[in-house]
Amino acid sequence: MSGMDTRVAGGVGASALRPDGTLKVTGEFAYSSDLWLDDMVWGVTLRSPHPSARIRSIDVTPALAMPGVLCALTHEDVPGLKFHGLDHPDTPVLAIDRVRYQGEPVALVAADHPERARRAAAAIVVDYEVTEAVTDPWRAAFDPSCPKVQEGGNVLRHQPVRVGSVFEAPVVVTGEYEVGMQDQAPLGPESGLAVPAEDGGVDLFVATQWLHVDRDQIAPCLGLPPEKVRMTLAGVGGAFGAREDLSMQIHACMLALRTGRPVKIVYGREESFFGHVHRHPARMRYEHGATEDGRLVYVKAEILLDGGAYRSSSPAVVGNAASLGAGPYEVPNVAIDAYGVYTNNPPCGAMRGFGAVQACFAYESQMDKLAEACGISPVEVRVRNAVSQGSRLITGQVIDSPAPLAEMLRELEAFPLPEEPAAGGRDLRALPGGVAQTTHGEGVRRGVGYGVGIKNICFSEGFDDFSTARVRVELAGGEPHVLVHTAAAEVGQGLVTVQAQIARTELGIDRVTVAPADTRVGSAGSSSASRQSYVTGGAVKAACEAVRARLDKLAEENPGLTLPELLERSGPVEETREYRHRPTYPMDPVTGQGDSHTQLALCVHRAVVDVDVELGLVKVVELAAVQDVGRVLNPLALEGQIHGGTAQGLGLALMEEIQVVDGRVRNPSFTDYLIPTILDMPPMRVSILENADPAAPYGLRGAGEPPTLSSTPAIAAAVRAATGRPLPRVPIRPQDIALPA
Amino acid sequence: MRSFSYLSAPDVETALRVIADGEGVKFLGGGTNLVDLMREGIERPATVVDITRLPLTGIEELPGGGVRVGALVRNSRLAADLLIRTRYPVLAQAVLHGASAQLRNMATVGGNLLQRTRCLYFYDGAAACNKRAPGSGCDAIGGFSRGGAILGASEHCVAAHPSDMAVALAMLDAVVEVESVRGVRRIPIADFHRLPGDTPHIETALAADELITAVELPPVPVAANSRYRKVRDRASYAFALVSVAAALNVEDGVVTEARLALGGVGTKPWRATEAERALLGAPATEDAFRRAAEAELAAAVAGPQNAFKIELARRTIVATLRRLLTEGSAA
Repeated sequence: MSGMDTRVAGGVGASALRPDGTLKVTGEFAYSSDLWLDDMVWGVTLRSPHPSARIRSIDVTPALAMPGVLCALTHEDVPGLKFHGLDHPDTPVLAIDRVRYQGEPVALVAADHPERARRAAAAIVVDYEVTEAVTDPWRAAFDPSCPKVQEGGNVLRHQPVRVGSVFEAPVVVTGEYEVGMQDQAPLGPESGLAVPAEDGGVDLFVATQWLHVDRDQIAPCLGLPPEKVRMTLAGVGGAFGAREDLSMQIHACMLALRTGRPVKIVYGREESFFGHVHRHPARMRYEHGATEDGRLVYVKAEILLDGGAYRSSSPAVVGNAASLGAGPYEVPNVAIDAYGVYTNNPPCGAMRGFGAVQACFAYESQMDKLAEACGISPVEVRVRNAVSQGSRLITGQVIDSPAPLAEMLRELEAFPLPEEPAAGGRDLRALPGGVAQTTHGEGVRRGVGYGVGIKNICFSEGFDDFSTARVRVELAGGEPHVLVHTAAAEVGQGLVTVQAQIARTELGIDRVTVAPADTRVGSAGSSSASRQSYVTGGAVKAACEAVRARLDKLAEENPGLTLPELLERSGPVEETREYRHRPTYPMDPVTGQGDSHTQLALCVHRAVVDVDVELGLVKVVELAAVQDVGRVLNPLALEGQIHGGTAQGLGLALMEEIQVVDGRVRNPSFTDYLIPTILDMPPMRVSILENADPAAPYGLRGAGEPPTLSSTPAIAAAVRAATGRPLPRVPIRPQDIALPA
Repeated sequence: MRSFSYLSAPDVETALRVIADGEGVKFLGGGTNLVDLMREGIERPATVVDITRLPLTGIEELPGGGVRVGALVRNSRLAADLLIRTRYPVLAQAVLHGASAQLRNMATVGGNLLQRTRCLYFYDGAAACNKRAPGSGCDAIGGFSRGGAILGASEHCVAAHPSDMAVALAMLDAVVEVESVRGVRRIPIADFHRLPGDTPHIETALAADELITAVELPPVPVAANSRYRKVRDRASYAFALVSVAAALNVEDGVVTEARLALGGVGTKPWRATEAERALLGAPATEDAFRRAAEAELAAAVAGPQNAFKIELARRTIVATLRRLLTEGSAA
């Protein structure tokens, strides 16, 4: 029984079938919005229509007078702490004396029917005194006369990086870049069901990314000890960072505890746009200096990230933007300043790529400019500056596992280019504008572009990042059976499948059940930062190894007995283990130096686009990617992640943007906020490398985020190549290509 | 959604009686727009009369070469119909460029004619909108106006008409047949949709008690050489930034007949009569096409965010005519 047993089907490395796959495709999967109890009532949130206002008074009595209404609550009814927050409790559970963004929760209603609850909420009278909204992040950060959105000032974090002192070079390229506000756009809206318990506590079933961090914010606000807030993960319809911050959790619990009834809250699509944070829009100014043959001498940058009204995870986003702000390149001299600022715009926080996405668009655009200035190819300029194992990041951290960027670029470049079809007889779906007849090939120019991204995997900057797994082997129907129990959130990424694969491989037992994720087991940490295969995978592996050691010992003590006979004799064998990745350290607040990350992952993209230069329409013809994942755990799920991340990057490049005007969201719907459809997403060519990271379980490297970084600049570069336009902003719109102002 | 009473009409007479007698009665066809608007609280009917069982689902050839399309013909069926595809390819193409396959399977011809604007301010209950709340003002003017109209706007409303199908119908001089307990009326499509003026909430000539029963397509021989072109932000399932319905007849290098209508740019489906006038008798050349486009767009008024639509419309008109000249109506 020692060593990994590779004889079991469906273990590590196999494309094991997802248990949720068929259910989701056939519409039978139970999402959190499907939760139902016969005696439940419905909760609704009243939100601020103003981006900035003082609240003079709130009168809930008109709501209470309406039929079917059980209660109406304000900040005065919050039983405990009146604030929550991922990083720091700065976000009011319900607005107290002012609102800081459009959509901020102000009051709650529970009623016997959702429409009655909505009407009652609308009947609540809030007396607002509208105040000046701070909506320009530059002014918020640098104009001393700007009103303060938060008491401590509008700059929530300024992280410099300083290396070297040479800021002169023979070749200098500069640029100013902008990234619009992207939404995670998970298809499942925020939803959950809170059930009051006899012990005065509450059971909460909810779609989230991290049960324990939710609980640790919910319990103090309810005035309850953590053990009285019991959480179970409900079916999650996508996350991408949107579920890291709390949405309806405390609200549903407050209503449940007040009414003594189970309370369900489901946001509609529009409310969902106000119910979660978004990707920080960014304004960036870059200057790259290089030798005449394109070797980087220095990078100077100012990165301004609009964090909106509350803190969320903005400080960590700023840290990533700073530490990864020059990309995966060797740069001897660096002066980067990354700022996160408060405004009265919608709060921004976690989204796939987390602070690395915005900078990647800017530094990759710069690398293309540098290639042009030096008269070398985009691939060549990247290869000449590429990091590799042993290189130092701009934070001084040494990359201590394989980082074969130059080889990845060469492989990508060697992929054959898709053929340029002859004019006439072309499939319209392969042309810009698609079947809308905009062109049959005339006025279409092809462009090719490259993008490179580097993303930290797992939590950084000294965070105590761990996961917990409980593994039990017992007889079921006379056969050995494994039960894996963690609190890790399956958000669609395939983690439940991977946990079972690890257990099969480690224990050589094919019958594995993964228990529903809940708080009866220790924290698994967040399903974010591409970290769960690494950290929860590591915990499951460690717990399996502990169980295996006990089984080995039993076998030694009882020679000749089979596993079922051993289990018959011993009863269930159960072990729980915590797993931590190597420690990380804070960035120096003045120089940005420090080993702030534990693992770094690379992805490179090549985009081929056809652009109708007359109408400004883009068809992405092919996206090719090379990614080093250390070790493939599930090939099919991994490719899905790479396709999905790439598509989200395509969305940012060409269409996805929340339009915020004077602090107000103008397009909170999937009719007006466009995400790519299958007709926008081209076929992909993917090459996956397995250069193991010796520090990680199985040598794996987190894979979900890196493709989201590099596809955006690759597409932008390809469109620039086709059109000759500078295109300093994403998303790129038709008028930016064909009809610049 | 507000509560409402629901009634399924077994025949046209019942439907007309209910709407004549009742307050706040709305007909429900495919529900692809009305249900959305009810969810948002923009439409708040007291009674919804389901008309999908009415026998208004035929597509018939008329003596003289026209075609009569029942009001309840689903969009996907209309686009697939052989008569429509051969005589009015522009209409089949326009319908196929609208919405998604799922929506087209539900949406009806009559409902499409009554489709309401996708102006972002119309949908935002907190914003001033003369269309939604007459007299409240228009926050779209001076607001985020990228989707706004550049033709036919007034100081009270700049909302663009969203339909693709109606643009083709405008080009074809379709006639909308409506019925009430008072009798039958036939409304030319040009008169059916109204300019916003100072009553942007009144969008059509349909009276409160009338039901659209059919759309009649007159014989339009030139429509056999017609096409629809749509420019949008993604490859499918998006409203038009600009769309063009066009038909062209050229003899000896001279335009002998031209029909042109625009979508995405007008406050109603926009028949481009100025362009048609400019084209008639002109040489079928790129220059003439450009002059025609410019004649139509001379009246265009845009804000900073939708100024690009003027040039985009010009290019789309020229390119559509050029394509008609070289490739005809082949998709």
